[in-house]
Amino acid sequence: MLLSSALRSALSHAGTHVRSLHRSVARAAAGGIFVHKDTPENNPDTPFEFTPENMKRVEAIINNYPKGHKQAATLPVLDLAQRQHGWLPVSAMNKVAEVLEIPPMRVYEVATFYTMFLRQPVGKYHIQVCTTTPCMLCASDSILQTIQNKLGIKVGETTPDKLFTLIEVECLGACVNAPMVQINDLYYEDLKPSDIEHIIDELKAGRVPPPGPRSGRFSCEPAGGLTSLTGPPPGPGFGVRSDL
Amino acid sequence: MAEYVNVLRRAVSQITGHGGVRGLFLQFFRVNDMKTGALVGIDKYGNKYYEDNRYFFGRHRWVIYTTEMNGKRTLWDVDGSMVPPEWHRWLHCMTDDPPTTHPPEPKKFLAKVHQINVSGTKDCYVPYSTTPKKIHEWVPKVGQ
Amino acid sequence: MLRLPAVGRALAGASRSKVSLATSSNVRTSVRALSNMVEVFVDGKPVMVEPGTTVLQACEKVGVQIPRFCYHERLSVAGNCRMCLVEIERAPKVTCSPKEPYGLWNLCAFTILSIYFLHTPVAACAMPVMKGWNILTNSEKTRKAREGVMEFLLANHPLDCPICDQGGECDLQDQSLMFGSDRSRFTEGKRAVEDKNIGPLIKTIMTRCIQCTRCVRFASEIAGVQDLGTTGRGNSMQIGTYVEKMFMSELSGNVIDVCPVGALTSKPYAFTARPWETRKTESVDVLDAVGSNIVVSTRGGEVMRVLPRLNEDVNEEWISDKTRFAYDGLKRQRLTQPMMKDATGQLVPTFWEDVLTHVAGVLQSVQGSEVAAIVGGMADAESLVALKDLLNKLDSELLCTEESFPVAGAGTDLRSNYLLNTRIAGIEECDLLLLIGTNPRYEAPLFNARIRKSWLHNELQVSLVGHKVDLSYSYNHLGDSTRVLQEIAAGTHPYCQVLAQAKRPVVVVGSSCLQRADSGAIFSAVSMIAKNARITSGVQDGWKVLNVLHRLASQVAALDLGYKPGIEAIRKNPPKVLFLLGADAGCITRTDLPKNCFIIYQGHHGDVGAPMADIILPGAAYTEKNATYVNTEGRAQQTRVAVRAHAHVIRTAVAGAPLPYDTLEEVRKRLAEVAPNLIHYDDVEEANFFQQAHELSKAVSQSLLADPLIPPQLSVKDFYMTDSISRASQTMAKCVKAVTEGAGAVEEPAIC
Repeated sequence: MLLSSALRSALSHAGTHVRSLHRSVARAAAGGIFVHKDTPENNPDTPFEFTPENMKRVEAIINNYPKGHKQAATLPVLDLAQRQHGWLPVSAMNKVAEVLEIPPMRVYEVATFYTMFLRQPVGKYHIQVCTTTPCMLCASDSILQTIQNKLGIKVGETTPDKLFTLIEVECLGACVNAPMVQINDLYYEDLKPSDIEHIIDELKAGRVPPPGPRSGRFSCEPAGGLTSLTGPPPGPGFGVRSDL
Repeated sequence: MAEYVNVLRRAVSQITGHGGVRGLFLQFFRVNDMKTGALVGIDKYGNKYYEDNRYFFGRHRWVIYTTEMNGKRTLWDVDGSMVPPEWHRWLHCMTDDPPTTHPPEPKKFLAKVHQINVSGTKDCYVPYSTTPKKIHEWVPKVGQ
Repeated sequence: MLRLPAVGRALAGASRSKVSLATSSNVRTSVRALSNMVEVFVDGKPVMVEPGTTVLQACEKVGVQIPRFCYHERLSVAGNCRMCLVEIERAPKVTCSPKEPYGLWNLCAFTILSIYFLHTPVAACAMPVMKGWNILTNSEKTRKAREGVMEFLLANHPLDCPICDQGGECDLQDQSLMFGSDRSRFTEGKRAVEDKNIGPLIKTIMTRCIQCTRCVRFASEIAGVQDLGTTGRGNSMQIGTYVEKMFMSELSGNVIDVCPVGALTSKPYAFTARPWETRKTESVDVLDAVGSNIVVSTRGGEVMRVLPRLNEDVNEEWISDKTRFAYDGLKRQRLTQPMMKDATGQLVPTFWEDVLTHVAGVLQSVQGSEVAAIVGGMADAESLVALKDLLNKLDSELLCTEESFPVAGAGTDLRSNYLLNTRIAGIEECDLLLLIGTNPRYEAPLFNARIRKSWLHNELQVSLVGHKVDLSYSYNHLGDSTRVLQEIAAGTHPYCQVLAQAKRPVVVVGSSCLQRADSGAIFSAVSMIAKNARITSGVQDGWKVLNVLHRLASQVAALDLGYKPGIEAIRKNPPKVLFLLGADAGCITRTDLPKNCFIIYQGHHGDVGAPMADIILPGAAYTEKNATYVNTEGRAQQTRVAVRAHAHVIRTAVAGAPLPYDTLEEVRKRLAEVAPNLIHYDDVEEANFFQQAHELSKAVSQSLLADPLIPPQLSVKDFYMTDSISRASQTMAKCVKAVTEGAGAVEEPAIC
């Protein structure tokens, strides 16, 4: 009796509990592990130097903060380094530490904390497909499938020509225009599979298609047309007592 | 009366049974005993094995060691291990069949030639510690 | 990590502005008026505390221990383990009074509101107390909160206590027993983290880490090596160096003590002993002149490890890596039996009787300056006085120490000339420090840690004359030539203006630069600088400016007992019989002595001194004897017998004229006759004859040499092997190898 109940509970455990921890895809794609392993493309000798224009920008960023608080500029300077190089090799982090006169470890701590700092090489176009609930309800899975079919890569992979990297991310805050993808800094919204195919074709051809909703609406206006503010704005005195 | 005669006869046989006065004294000093008995056999080294069942059990079988064994003089320096295994079992009453009548089965683990027991000599085995040394001493370099 | 902004700024390294930490207990704050005190209650018991005291400190004050992992009283407050959660009972009066100093705490206003209205438990280590709070340390809610935190901590902590080296002294083990639940509700898999190779001293099992960040804070605040950090986020957060790098600091071993779990353990000690089976002996370290207080853990007559012992005046609760890990040198290269040279000139083991009669014969055959003695860096005061009495009986005054010291001027006659008069703890009170010809980071790591602490919290300004080295804090490098010294002494150097503005200046001269031929001139220049600084700062007589930082544990005791510093006297006057007492620095060789000179070596290691001896008398090392050592401050401290020595040498009966003592007590009585301060244990005898010493130093007519002032220990690889014990240590050899060739070059047992 006792044994059978124990057995049953064990069986029910096996059925309902998954013995693994949830890992967000974003984190996996942002570099996976949180230790650095030297690779041919990512090692302390990877050439990285701020361009003269960017060096001016770095100085401007540092001047935003009080004197002696250069460490505060870590985030924007890291971002600048990533924009210049496309991703953040360990040499770029070392360079940032050198520029800000802080120990490299303090930069590593920041760079590993934020998932938008890419510590692994990515393609020229970094496609981030949102698959969180609102987008998923609006068939983001079909978008993801289309991209995968078109590029021949899976989530987390880069095309052999180093042009596209595909990752799945959590909510990017454009739920009203679901489904959407972010390609580098641009949001492409209200997508249908044909739209995303077109976007990829354009990118392959070297053109940057205009960002924004593909359904024809302006920004995040209601999908079925405006429900308010449809007429011209009433003039002064609207709704005011006639005797005034 | 006959008992006393028997005792006297045995006493005489013990005194005369060792080959004269010299033999008697040699026997007495080597074995601390003068008993005589039936010679059951002699092993290949020359040890003589006797039996006399009139003695109490445990004293009824004995050995008179040879005087020279494998190049070692054993006139006075005798050792229990000089008895070869086949005679050992008879001597210790594990069996009543002496190897003379029942030749032993050859066993590969039995020594062909007796090895002298080295206990108490400088070749004896001394147990040593197998744990690592707690303190390693300094050894001066040769030639300094 | 919730670091206080002031600390974060100071940690930036580059920033020179340093703001003292208001809430940290490790900074000396001025005593506040009693009227400023705040009354709080701990479990209903009233206690008066200073404003800004944390809840945890207030509880400590009434003797209530709050469980904690991340909080460490010598490190900044992180507040990330949440183990110290306690319930706060609000005081109704406080909430409605507008006059209460809300402005002080507007930063944590939200938290305070949530305490008042939601009754959220607070993290005791980071929350400053407010008037009238009743801290409930054992309420239902508090216990529930602790249990919950413990459950989360254990969700990812492996249950490998039986094979964990921290077992038995593990905070997590103890606290989960006291405050944890008896079962877990987690059925998920545990997180696994890759182990890091951070050097041959520290073994990492990162899966056990609970991310308290104590090691990170220790490294960046105390050790000043910003190599450790937290990488990643969430469940995957880990402690490490991110890139493959060793954590190579002279204080790195302390992270083993600081770690509350078994994530950082000692590599040499791994799997050798359990804390409950070792015998602990309180002792003193002799591998440098700081005299760190240590606990020697022994098992079965073998030293298993060395741990620090709390002494606020000397080492706080840290010890250097050499102190901690060189103990395996005590088991190798030892002199275990007397040796004598045979006819072929080869040293062969003999018996004590033969050796002692031979030595007695040799000593009786000489008189006066035909016999001399040199003592090394690890001789204790008892041996020193016995040797001195022995040679004095033979009418010889040729008793020298290996380490030199200028004898011109006042020399070693005035005690204040050769001590670290300000004391180690005194560094926290000074506002300007001038280091001359020294690298305290490797010559006296804990003295350097004190300087760094003062630099970090008390705005100490440090300047250095000498070779430019990494001292783990920023300093003003004035140059390494002796000319700079001359200019500062003469008052023509620009630095003199800085010096003149100091309120409490301290000048520290390293004993390493006093080994030079022009040491007298250097010392008189330093004396002049100190004299000028004293006049311009206008400090009271009680404040000492001139300090000497020694490197050898025996030096101060030897000078106190009247030994001659340096072996010049012996070079000039080569003796027929030379007694070496642990002299392993190699400052004298056979070639300096006449051919037929008879050398007696007494010591514990076959290092440099033993091979040239005719007779070797084995002695006891510092873990094997009750002995007195005097540190660079002049503080007499005792070592205790941790391991029974295999040999006791009684020198008294050796010579024809026996010395009048046989036991330790009698020797100490004799010590008290010669130098009473040597038996005033754990106390520093004041010495204050700077005026007279300075007058005498004017008579020095030496001139400075042009050579730059370069201390012998420049980088961390020079730190590990400096004396006969650490030279015999394999762990120290591994450290040197790791530093020069990288951590991968050191082969470790596969089990580690």
